[in-house]
Amino acid sequence: MPSALSVTVSVAPVEQESVAADAATEPDVPWITLVWNDPVNLMSYVTFVFQTYFGYSKAKAERLMMDVHTKGRAVVSTGARERMETDTEALQGYGLWATFQKDT
Amino acid sequence: MARGFKKRQGRYVARLDAVERGLVVGLMEQVRDLVQPADTTPDAEDGDEFDRIVAGLGGVGMGVSLAADDQVQVGGGVPAPRDPALDRIFPTANRQDDQVAAEFRQLTEEGLRARKTRNLDTAIAALGHLEDQKVTLDHDQAVALVVALTDVRLVLGERLGLRQDDDLDLIEEQVSSLEEDDPAVYALAVYDFLTWLQETLAHALLP
Repeated sequence: MPSALSVTVSVAPVEQESVAADAATEPDVPWITLVWNDPVNLMSYVTFVFQTYFGYSKAKAERLMMDVHTKGRAVVSTGARERMETDTEALQGYGLWATFQKDT
Repeated sequence: MARGFKKRQGRYVARLDAVERGLVVGLMEQVRDLVQPADTTPDAEDGDEFDRIVAGLGGVGMGVSLAADDQVQVGGGVPAPRDPALDRIFPTANRQDDQVAAEFRQLTEEGLRARKTRNLDTAIAALGHLEDQKVTLDHDQAVALVVALTDVRLVLGERLGLRQDDDLDLIEEQVSSLEEDDPAVYALAVYDFLTWLQETLAHALLP
């Protein structure tokens, strides 16, 4: 994301609020939602969840699912912390092993 | 003989006999008791409410008990602070910062418990909906069931000791030397049945 946009956005009330809520967080650093491999969830089901919840194409959903399966985890979404918390909660609702963290 | 889910004219249809439906419903009821919000359980004001939730559940689920009290205890005497199956269903959501993870749990767990409880209610009711002796689901019911089957398999998988991808093979190998009437043999057969059923439903649901 262009840095100019961040400067513009940072004066908005929403952005100020999120900065105030977590002073240690640099607003420019995005957060990520991760899904981790587990021995229970089926490849077909994980693909179904990625397509259903995120609206990802079949190709993207399958690629992310294979990353989870073969690499042990995949970044499934990127953005503001609050959005990543929403995604994590939703994916845990589907029974996936989802976590969120600051992108490093 | 069970036949898995197929999409037929916008509906999701499977052939499951009364015993098979009873098995799945019984397990979903046990998981609902496990995940339902604490304030809906009786006598939640003192002690370990989870022990009371699982008390008296033994018979449901066709002999497979998901209750924590019925699991084999290793090194007994020390009560576990939290059922590990709950940690799997509501996993630690931030691995870098315990404080962030604790805040997230505090903010989300009750809502997730309520959502899962409602979803299990929907799935349990849906399995009772027969047309021409077949389970026949609309899209929302099918989604509720595929998610509910995940929750049941997560809890049963935890009880069976599934932690990594290879564990199912290891357990199958161990179980192959046991007597046919050993509970572990039955539990594994049930797990495989649920896996098969969910696989057919997930495939039928894929857009």
